[in-house]
Formats: sequence, structure tokens, C-alpha cells
Amino acid sequence: MNFRVFFKSVKFAFRAKKRVIPFMIVYAILFIVVSDGLLSSDYLWYLLMAFIVSTFYAILISQFRRRDMSVFKCIGWGNNDVMLLVIGEVLLVTIASFLAMLQISFEIMGIIAYFSIDLGSGTLFQAVYYFVVIDAVPLFTTFFVILGLQIPGLFIAQRRAVSVPPMKALREE
Amino acid sequence: MVQPIIQVQGANKEFGKGKNTVAALKDVNLEIQRGEFVAVVGPSGCGKSTLLHVMAGLEQPTSGRILVDGVDVTLISERDLPKVRMQKIGFVFQAFLLIEDLTAYENVEAVLWPSVDYTKEKQEARTLEVLREVDMLERRDHFPRQMSGGEQQRIAIARALVNGPPILFCDEPTGNLDSKTGENILKIIAQLNKEKNMTVVLVTHNEELVKFAKKILHMKDGVVR
Repeated sequence: MNFRVFFKSVKFAFRAKKRVIPFMIVYAILFIVVSDGLLSSDYLWYLLMAFIVSTFYAILISQFRRRDMSVFKCIGWGNNDVMLLVIGEVLLVTIASFLAMLQISFEIMGIIAYFSIDLGSGTLFQAVYYFVVIDAVPLFTTFFVILGLQIPGLFIAQRRAVSVPPMKALREE
Repeated sequence: MVQPIIQVQGANKEFGKGKNTVAALKDVNLEIQRGEFVAVVGPSGCGKSTLLHVMAGLEQPTSGRILVDGVDVTLISERDLPKVRMQKIGFVFQAFLLIEDLTAYENVEAVLWPSVDYTKEKQEARTLEVLREVDMLERRDHFPRQMSGGEQQRIAIARALVNGPPILFCDEPTGNLDSKTGENILKIIAQLNKEKNMTVVLVTHNEELVKFAKKILHMKDGVVR
């Protein structure tokens, strides 16, 4: 793997804010839902949900980046380098969402402890706490589960990236 | 005798299948010497862009051989073709084809990102050097949408030059520009040919621009005359 291309692709992904930020929010919600779901007996459904969302996102990136991929191929990038564009964005979104949920959990737990807030039943704090805060073990487990479930989507995205001809950009312009 | 830098031997290119087959190139044979400035002219749809794409390895001919600086691009694997494009070919397109989310500097430097021959410092130095050559150093942090057509084309030329290729293919490089800007772009290309002994193959339907070329090839209905 060419790490230089990989790090540049992460930086490149940051610029696609209109796509990246909504998906960071989607992934953050996915972290909340899947981490709860993994503890239930219906955990397979939650895994399926994570698989569908992550696969859909990988396919979406490969679709949005088709023009860029063909331009990069025209200027001499190989298929592996082009594929790093997709991997960079998927990893950016997954890690950023994980860190956001970690930070939010720290903050809420910190506020509750600092102000000695009573999490009595029916209060707003109780609702926020139980919905948003994810304990360390389920959060880290969900992170690795979602990372693993990205792999099939990335394979599909790779097939799509390889199939993009350099001539595509020229024909579309 | 010096070997030509580009050799096209019996190249044919067909699009479509069965009754819908269209022959874009018909038994094209030509040789281009190192350092030549060749213009390929002809009416729209005569196959001149297809010829350029085939010579640059962007498309494979249906039959025939294409040798670029001694490498047969029709025999080379899909995996190795990008290396040939990176080392031997610079391409300037009519629609500029810059990446919208990258700055002018990054658009130029991006060519070198996958290359193991360039360290970070070398990449930076080389990118700044070519941006200076096309007089776009001050616009390096601008995005394509913040630049005029002429400026975008200068960045596209810098991108084509950054890897130091011996051949520059230009596909209607002035097609989206006004006549004055177009002439300035052609002057930059002609200067590169003169000063760096770069082989330039220019495709245009604008007969006025061929004055910069030393050799003119006329194309009609897929045939080079």
C-alpha cells in the first residue's frame, strides 16, 4: 500500500464535506444502535444493518468518485492507488464517528459525575444517558465489527474502481 | 538511424458491434521523431482524438501496434500501462480535467503521489518549478472553480509536465478558451517543444493554430493523409 497516496486521500476526503459530514452522523447513529443491538439476542439483525450501511457507503463513494478516478488513471495512477481514494474516505468516516461517540460519552459521563446529577427515572438526563452514552467495551467492539463489515463493501468498490476506464472522464466532459 | 519516439503500425479502431460498427481509425501508419511538434488536423469526428487516445495508451486499438518510446502499449498489461503513462506521457485535455476538490498545487503534485522515485521534498520542489514555468505560482492555493479557463489550462499543462515526460499529447487544448488565451496556451506548448525538445502531438480542428507545428497530419474519415 502506498501510504503517501492513502494519507493524501484522507485529506482529499475531508474536502467532500457535503457527503462526509452527513455520513459521519449516520455512522455515529449506527454506533449507538449497533452497540446496543450487539448485547441483545437479535444481534444478527444489527450486524446486517451495519453491513448494509457500510457497503452502501463504499459503493456510494466509488460512484461519486468515478470522474476523479478516471482523471487519476489518465495521469498515471494505477488501480491500487485509485482504490485508496475509497479506503481513505471510508476509514476517515468510521474513525471520526467512533472518536465523536467516544468524546460525547466522555463528556456526558463527566458532566453527570461533576454535577452529581441524579439519573432518576423519567428525567431528561436519564434518557440522554441511556440513549447516547456507549460503554467502552461495546463501543470498541462495535468499532471493530463495523471496520470488519466494511471489507465486503470495499471489495465491491474495488471492482467498480478497476472497471472505471481512463476515457470515462473525457467522454463525459 | 534514430528510432522514432512514436510509431503507429496498421492501427485500426472500431466502435460498436455488428451493423453498428463505426471505424474511427483505418489502417493508420505514422512515425513521429523525438522533439517534433506535430499537429493532427481534420473535421470533427474524423478520428483525430481517437488516434491521440490510442497513441497515449488511454484506449487500445482494435488491431495494429503502437510503440511509444520503444514500448509497445498494445502488448503491455493493464497493470503496467499506468507506469508508462506516468513516465513517458503528459496529457492536456480540452476540458482541463482538473480535480475540483484539490488546489492548483495539489492537482499538479497528485501525478507524483504514487511515484516512489520522488521524496516529499523532491515532489514539492518539482511542483513549484513547473508552476513557475507556466507562471501560476501565485495561484497555487486556488481551487479550479476560482480560476479562469486559461489559468486552469496552464495548471493542466503544469500537471502534464511535472513528471518530466518526453511526449506531450494535447487534445484540443484551446477548444474551451477564447482565441487570445488559446494562442497564449499554444505559445507555452511551442516553447516547451523548443526549449526542452519535448515531442508534442497536438490535435485541433482550428487551422489557425497549426502555425506552431513543424509537421501537419491531415485526417479524414479515420485515415491519415
